[in-house]
Order: sequence, then C-alpha cells, then structure tokens
Amino acid sequence: MDLTVNLAPHHKTELRLRNPIMTASGTFSNGLELAKYHDVDALGAIVSKGTTLRPRRGNATPRTAETAAGMLNSIGFQNIGVSALIKTIAPVWERWDVPAIVNIMGETLDEYGTLAARLEGVPGVAGLEVNVSCPNVEAGGLEFGQVPEQAAAVVREVAAHSTLPMLVKLTPSVSDIRPIAMAVEAAGAQALTVTNTIPAMAIDVRTRRPVLSTGSGGLSGPAVKPIAMRNVYLASSVVDIPVVASGGAMTGLDVVEFVMAGATAVQVGTATFLDPAAPWSILAEFEAWCAAEGVTCVDEIRGVARRRD
Amino acid sequence: MKSFLAEVTESVRLYGDTHALWLRSPDHLASAVPGQFLMAYAGESYDPLLGRAFSIFRVRRGPGGPEFGVLFDVVGRGTDWLSRRREGDQVRLVGPLGRGFEPRERVQKMLLVGGGIGVAPLIWLADSLVAEGREVTMVLGGRTEAQIFPAALLPSEVELVVTTEDGSLGETGRVTAPFERLLPWCDQAFACGPDPMFEALYRVARDAGSNKPIQGLLEARMACGLGICYSCAVFPRKGGVRLVCTDGPMFDLRDLYA
Repeated sequence: MDLTVNLAPHHKTELRLRNPIMTASGTFSNGLELAKYHDVDALGAIVSKGTTLRPRRGNATPRTAETAAGMLNSIGFQNIGVSALIKTIAPVWERWDVPAIVNIMGETLDEYGTLAARLEGVPGVAGLEVNVSCPNVEAGGLEFGQVPEQAAAVVREVAAHSTLPMLVKLTPSVSDIRPIAMAVEAAGAQALTVTNTIPAMAIDVRTRRPVLSTGSGGLSGPAVKPIAMRNVYLASSVVDIPVVASGGAMTGLDVVEFVMAGATAVQVGTATFLDPAAPWSILAEFEAWCAAEGVTCVDEIRGVARRRD
Repeated sequence: MKSFLAEVTESVRLYGDTHALWLRSPDHLASAVPGQFLMAYAGESYDPLLGRAFSIFRVRRGPGGPEFGVLFDVVGRGTDWLSRRREGDQVRLVGPLGRGFEPRERVQKMLLVGGGIGVAPLIWLADSLVAEGREVTMVLGGRTEAQIFPAALLPSEVELVVTTEDGSLGETGRVTAPFERLLPWCDQAFACGPDPMFEALYRVARDAGSNKPIQGLLEARMACGLGICYSCAVFPRKGGVRLVCTDGPMFDLRDLYA
C-alpha cells in the first residue's frame, strides 16, 4: 500500500505527503503541544495556527460554544505573529520530517504579499495555506473569498512573493463554490482547502444574548461534514488541482467519504479537541479500511462518487 | 497526558446538589498533582461533543486499586450525564492536564480559600498538605449551607472557617473577610472559585501590603484542555494573553491582576 499524495504535482517545489491525513489550521496550534505525546512525522502534513503580520491577542471570551454535534469558535486569530513564528517555531519544524504548512491571513492584499515574502526561503516551511475568509477592509468588507476576482487577486499577490506551494482555503459562505474554485485555480493556486467554518450563532437564554463575545462564530465538527462533503464534490468536479477536504472528519471512514467525493487529502480539526490522538487514530482507521478493501493508493478511490457509469 | 477509559466505582450525591464520581485510576495518573485537571467526555455520541474540565478532587485506594474522584454540580447536559453514571460504567477522559498548585517547600502554614464548587481541587490539596505534616486552614464560602463541603469529610487536622451569604452556616458574608484575618498568619495561600473572588482576594492582599504568594486555580470554558483550541484565554491586566489550560490553570494572582 502506498498512500502518498502530492498537493502540488505541477509546481517547481512539490508538496508530497506520506499519507492524506493533515491537521486543520487552528486545531493543532503550531504542532509543538501534541508533538510531546505523538509522532507528528507519521502524519501527512500539519497546518499552523492562522498567522498574521503582527501578533494578535484575539477576541474576548467566550470564544467557543458547544452546539448539536458541533461547536462555534470566534478566537479572533490569537497568534504570535509571523516574525515569532519564523524565529521560534520554524526551527522546530525544520527538525521534523512532516511538511509544515503556514496558514496566513491578511486584512489587505498588501499584507498577504508581505506575509508570503516573509516566509519565502524559511527553512522548515513547506508550503502556505491562504485563508481568504477575511473581510477585505479596502473593498467594502465582503470576504476576499466571496468574490472570485478578489480571491484570485490574493492568489496572484501571494504567488508574486513566494515560490512555496500554495493551498487556498475557501469559504463556504458563497452560493456556489465552483466559480471561486476555478478563479483560484486559474490564478495559480496549487491546491484548494474546502472549506473553512460556517458562520453560525448560539443564544444564551439566561443572558438573552449570543453566547460568543463577538455574536457569531464559525461552526465546525460532525454537524458540518455533509456540507463540506458537497463542497468537496462540487469543487473537485471543476478543477484539476488537488482538493483538501476540511469539515467534520471524525473517523477513517469520514476520510474515505471525502476521498470518494474528490479529495486528495483530508484535514482533521475539531476531532483533535475531543481526542488528542485523533489524527493518528483516523489515519490508522483509514489505512485499515484501505487494506481490508484492497485499495493500494488514494487515487484508486479518489472522486469515484462523481463517476456516472 | 493520555486519553483513557476509566471505570466508575462509585457515584454519590455528596452534599446539596453536588455529586462525586469515583473512577479507577490508570497507572499514568500517579504523576498527577493537586490542581491538575482532566477532560471528561459525556455521552456515547457526538452530542454533546466537547469534553468538560474537572479538577481531581481527591484520590483514594479502593478495593481494586487506586481511584480518583471528580466533584461537580449538575449544570447542563454533560454534568447531568456524568451524574447518572453507575458502578461499572465507563467514562472517557484525557489527562492529567495543566499546571497544578505548587506548594513551597519548607513552609508550614497553608491557607486554602474555596468559593462554591471551587472547593474541589482544594480537598486533594488539603489531604496532601496534611499528609506532609503542614498546618492547613480552609475558608469555604457559598451562597447557602447546601453549597458548603461537609466538615466531616475533611481531614480532622484541617482548621475550617465557613462563610455563607445568607448566614445559614458559619459567618455571614463572603470569604474575603476571613481571608483578610488569616492572611498575616499564613506562609502561602491557595484559592479556587469564581473570577470575581480571585480579584477580591488579590485586592485584599494588595491593600494589606502583603507580598505572600496566592496561587489561584482558574476555571474557564475549554474545548480541548490541550493548548490547541485557544478558547480559554485570560488577559492579564498588564497586557498579553495566556491560556488557562496550559499556562495554568494555576496562576499567581499578581500575574493576572497587578
């Protein structure tokens, strides 16, 4: 069995993963916490906490709320900033075998370019994941990722400053994900992450106010899996670049489903909050399923659910 | 830190609406110290989804080996499910987690202050301090008598002071008054309770010109307990941000409020 996948097959620097199991940004910090207890090198890739140009303290609490088979979060991009990441985290990643991908988020086009430039040539950084689910403060506040042209502009800006393989993490807050996926592919992205969390809200009947300090937050967990599944199915039907699924994967069979919908790799997110061993146990379950079904590589089942025989 | 299944050995309503759940200890829990916590997972499905953080309230030797207890009020679906576990049932947990209490070596007089269910981690701390031969005075406060941990269940060596807001047991009022009286006596103080209690204790100590270390064990909404979800942020007055789960839950109150 060879479960390796390549997230940048046509790029000058490839992004080869020993298996399709990745961690999702914001659910693994920068990897150091759980690396104390588990073998990170056994995973396909890890993705950093969303990283901004300057350090951010994040939002007031409550930042999370439990919902039916899911959770809301509004962390507000608490992170150490790109400089500290380069100085204190990347040297640790450099000693690891697992590819480390930095999730970046800017508030302006310029910030995306600056972030990409700062991370160019940094040992230990294997790729970028560009979060476009952020309001474009220069253009009316719609998210970059909600407008095909603006999403494409972010991709071109990052590509102009970086030779690293680039994943673009799409927002589910669009009426149709396909035009965005195509625009991002045409602008030069190497892969898509489908998708970010879904805007949602919970109300505290005792205080008669939203639970989260910011009102709304992003829904994740098993509750969102069918929505992510459809978006993976749709996006992978219109692009040739790899699609990485992100949304509610809790088991090895969930990974199988996402691959059948068209995913090349699958990110494990909220599941890790419930069980720090989740990325590893999900990988073991996926490998066991492949062995039992006689599947010898990911491509054998990738996108089979889309076939019309 | 490990994810593990533990068998329930006893489930009991200990006082008022407060439950104690006793579970069989896995070997790795022998390294835990008072003030550390566990994430407990309620239910057998994805709903409820997230763990609940509980400090270890006591350890004991049961007929089948070492056991640990968690102490909780039923406040929602998770604690309701836990309160209905019976002997032989299994509960999944992750832990031990966080930075627990750090009693100084070679000091003798220990003051423990608990508000409401915040008493939980202080019981094990009191047990272990008494076992080390130290002097322990506990101040326990609650709204009413039903919220006060029974004196009969504490080690007999512990000096106990009780406050209730309605005057149904002990002194009428809050823990701050006895804390102010006892602070000059003690070498070190430990506290667990709601956030306003910590700030009140900090102010009492500051206004008294006391330099004694007060270790507070914070409670916060957590999704993971592992330092990866960033739910449990606390913002020290002097700036910055810390996570209760991995930077704490034990903080010197001066680091938060000064």
